[in-house]
Amino acid sequence: MVGKKKTSVQILVIILLILGAVWAGFPILWMLSNSFKGNAEIFTFPPTWISENFSFEAYAKIFMNPEQVRFFLNSYMISAIVVVLTLFIGIMASYAFSRFNFKGKSVINTIIVSVQAVPPITLLIPYLSLIVTLKLYNTYGALILTYLVFTLPYCILMVTGYLNTMPKDLDEAVMIDGGSRWTALWKILVPSAIPGLVSVGMYTFMQAWNEYLFALTLTKTNDMRTVPVGINLLMGQHAYEWNQMMAMSVLGSLPILLLFLFFQKYFIAGMTAGSVK
Amino acid sequence: MKARNLMKHGVLTAALAAMAIGACASADDVTLEFQQWWGVELPDGALQEIVDGFTEETGVKIDLLSNPYADTKTQISAGAATGTMADVVGLDGAWVYDFAKQGAIANLTELMTADGYDDSQLSDQIKWEGNTYMIPVVNFAYPLYVNLDILEEAGVSEIPTTWTEFLEACDAIASNTDKAAYAIPLNTEAPNGIQNQFSTWLWASGGSLMTDGKPALTDNESLVAVIDLFKQMKDNGYLSDGAEAMKEQDMVNEFENGRLAFMVDGISHLTTIKTESPDLNFTYAPMPVQDGYEGESGMDVANWGIGIAENCEHKEEAMKFVEYMMSPEVNAKLAELANAFPGNSTAEPDYSANDELFLTAYEIFQSGYAINEFTGAPTAEDLMRSMNEQLILYFDGDTESVDDMLAATQEAWEAAYN
Amino acid sequence: MKNKAVLKKKLTPYGYLLPTIILMLILLVIPIVMVIGYSLFDNVIANKNPVFVGLENYKTVLTDKEFWTAVSHTLFFVIVSIIVHMIIGMTFALILNTRYLGSKTKGIFRVIYALPWMFTASVIAILWRMMLDPNGVLNYFILLFHISEEKITFLASRDIALQSVTLINIWSGYPFYMISILAGLQGISPDLYEACSLDGANTIQSFFGITIPQLKPILISLLMLDFVWTLQQFALIWMTTGGGPVNATETISTWIYKQGFTKYQYSMASTGAVLLLIVCSIIGVFYVRHQRSEE
Repeated sequence: MVGKKKTSVQILVIILLILGAVWAGFPILWMLSNSFKGNAEIFTFPPTWISENFSFEAYAKIFMNPEQVRFFLNSYMISAIVVVLTLFIGIMASYAFSRFNFKGKSVINTIIVSVQAVPPITLLIPYLSLIVTLKLYNTYGALILTYLVFTLPYCILMVTGYLNTMPKDLDEAVMIDGGSRWTALWKILVPSAIPGLVSVGMYTFMQAWNEYLFALTLTKTNDMRTVPVGINLLMGQHAYEWNQMMAMSVLGSLPILLLFLFFQKYFIAGMTAGSVK
Repeated sequence: MKARNLMKHGVLTAALAAMAIGACASADDVTLEFQQWWGVELPDGALQEIVDGFTEETGVKIDLLSNPYADTKTQISAGAATGTMADVVGLDGAWVYDFAKQGAIANLTELMTADGYDDSQLSDQIKWEGNTYMIPVVNFAYPLYVNLDILEEAGVSEIPTTWTEFLEACDAIASNTDKAAYAIPLNTEAPNGIQNQFSTWLWASGGSLMTDGKPALTDNESLVAVIDLFKQMKDNGYLSDGAEAMKEQDMVNEFENGRLAFMVDGISHLTTIKTESPDLNFTYAPMPVQDGYEGESGMDVANWGIGIAENCEHKEEAMKFVEYMMSPEVNAKLAELANAFPGNSTAEPDYSANDELFLTAYEIFQSGYAINEFTGAPTAEDLMRSMNEQLILYFDGDTESVDDMLAATQEAWEAAYN
Repeated sequence: MKNKAVLKKKLTPYGYLLPTIILMLILLVIPIVMVIGYSLFDNVIANKNPVFVGLENYKTVLTDKEFWTAVSHTLFFVIVSIIVHMIIGMTFALILNTRYLGSKTKGIFRVIYALPWMFTASVIAILWRMMLDPNGVLNYFILLFHISEEKITFLASRDIALQSVTLINIWSGYPFYMISILAGLQGISPDLYEACSLDGANTIQSFFGITIPQLKPILISLLMLDFVWTLQQFALIWMTTGGGPVNATETISTWIYKQGFTKYQYSMASTGAVLLLIVCSIIGVFYVRHQRSEE
């Protein structure tokens, strides 16, 4: 009886699993398939799945163009720095929100939530003039700082959530043993919150990697620009390089894919539960 | 101890952030920034070669900055508001009014006079309040593309020259093939279908959207006739599916894949279509005109224009650069490379290396006159957008009559002119 | 001496917050205050000498019929998006957390499910525009399996354009939930489930009895963040339909963009942005209250 129920649940899970994979993966497969086609072939009807003129030309063009390679390097560097800074500053702030009661806590918290509400497009002009005033126009610094402030609110809210799920005795125990708050935070809380931090870190990386509007506006020379700008530069007034756009997107997603695979283990059940004990 | 620790980390953070700060380099000799979207449309490195020629001549360096076309307008707005606009900018005629009014771009009439430039060689100048703010560098004509194989399949032996013949051809295509006859891109994001694929019919038959530079949409017989023509195409299913979300590029994709018999599109697409679809059997033809119209046909043109930023610190050198781009030889070369017509009327481009179809288009272009009433109009893109919306409402039957549709559009347009 | 210790204790949380406060103050609060300022003037930026008009712009925006149409579309877009995001994200996270699957299988599917996450908005817009095209791959399947005998114009039809755009947003946004919930699930001690199953509770009971309450702080943060983000989703809508056909997919963000960058009514755009800011501040207040009552 129990065994039967188990198999039926298992079948249900497998059906859901496959449906989910089609939903999530089909558009990406389509993109991958298009990246090997010629520009006109992408729009044939009925569609071709594996191109008759299968070619790596679109990829080759990207690798041969130092400007486009530079977009990738810029994106890696900027995103990586942003993740480190956001997590570091965000964890400190979250710790304050999670473990202290202080004057102005609600106000600051509310501000953190609501500043995200202003559509970036309206901030564009005032923000650009601020960056120009700070002499940061067309620098990596401009992009790093921008993504830092754009991802901090998210990071703080999520990490506060993760820290709140952790019992207070955990860090209090450290302090009773004579450790400082600082050690309690970085030696005990942070390691226990790693699955959450990894997910926040990856999301931050994605945000920085995929942001387009500010990446374009705050820079003017191509050597300071990132992958999304590079992709959009392939959309001309008269000529679209569809296959290169697809190829560049596929290439752009690879590092994130690798990161994800690398951090997989943090999503495996029981890992934290074990370390907390 | 703890507090100090914390301080240290705070300082570290600040230092990290500061490290990324770079200083803006300022060279002693003059460097001009030239922001445009043309580079990607030309053969690799061609534009760089052209501007290098200027540096050789004058010693003034040119930094080519490129932006995606779709974002150029937003970027210029933001740049103008913050003083970061490039010295010389590529412009579209549809933006000139707004940028001139905002004081973002410089008065070129003044600069030309100061330099003693003979502007009679320029084929056109885009003005605002009597002064020039943009000079078209090259012009792109929008002739009719015809897929000859579809016509043959449909049993149409002659390329239509009048509306009646055109509708007959459409009917034959609809009945005998599974292809679409005509396409109009009406995506709200880029509403220039109104300019290039709609108004072009009006202009070809001598009609106009304006009288004395002011909107004149109501009681405009030729306009009513064009709208009727489109309504017929729509109701009879001659148009490509999904017009309301279509962009110009999508229309080209349809044509490249042999699913579209006629389209009005820039000659600039010629090379792309030839390389992407080498087997496509197509040609250019003059726009069909309203039955009985005997006059000259206006042909829609779009252009790559050039302007100078108001915040440019080296306006004199910038003007020299504009003059260089407009000089007969350079202008001719640019026109050859871009599959376009020169903005300098004395330029003599050698199109022998261009596709022979290009010459067909050139002949058609020369038999008529160039026109684009949206060039230099206030918030031109918004004008197109409101007409776009009204046209869809009329197609869908939400607006009862053409007159109501035009009255509503006229009202929206007038608001922009006040 | 004692006073000093008290003071130090009082100041500690501010110390932790200091970098955040400095950064946000300079880089977010200042520009936002500038935007608020713009909303009180007539025609800023386009006009060299704007005139102070007080709340006049707010009156204009709030009585603008098109603005309210945009508001209703935005509400549909946001509410449907976040509900479906939550359902899909939760389902996928739970599937990937079951014991019915081997860890290799889970690993592969975790990656597949997270795929939509990895692309920039303009690419997602281009990809879906291609797929939803009347001659696109989706219509190919629709005709092939006779789901409909006619091609469906997903983005070009005024009746379903908003739904289609919402679908795209759902596709691109659910991995955020999935990943965060998956991370949250790891923090729930297996002992809780064991205790629960000893009490004879079934899967559904333990889901509502343990999983949901344990995840609650994360879920609430997720919902709120997603609300705020979806509210101002711009790139996806703009690059697929531009707010059209007519105004079928016009949302507050596309309305703001058109005001600011095609009509050059920068004051109106700022006013729209401030209205969004006010709405989100109210939500922020509720969120913070809720957080406090939890403690």
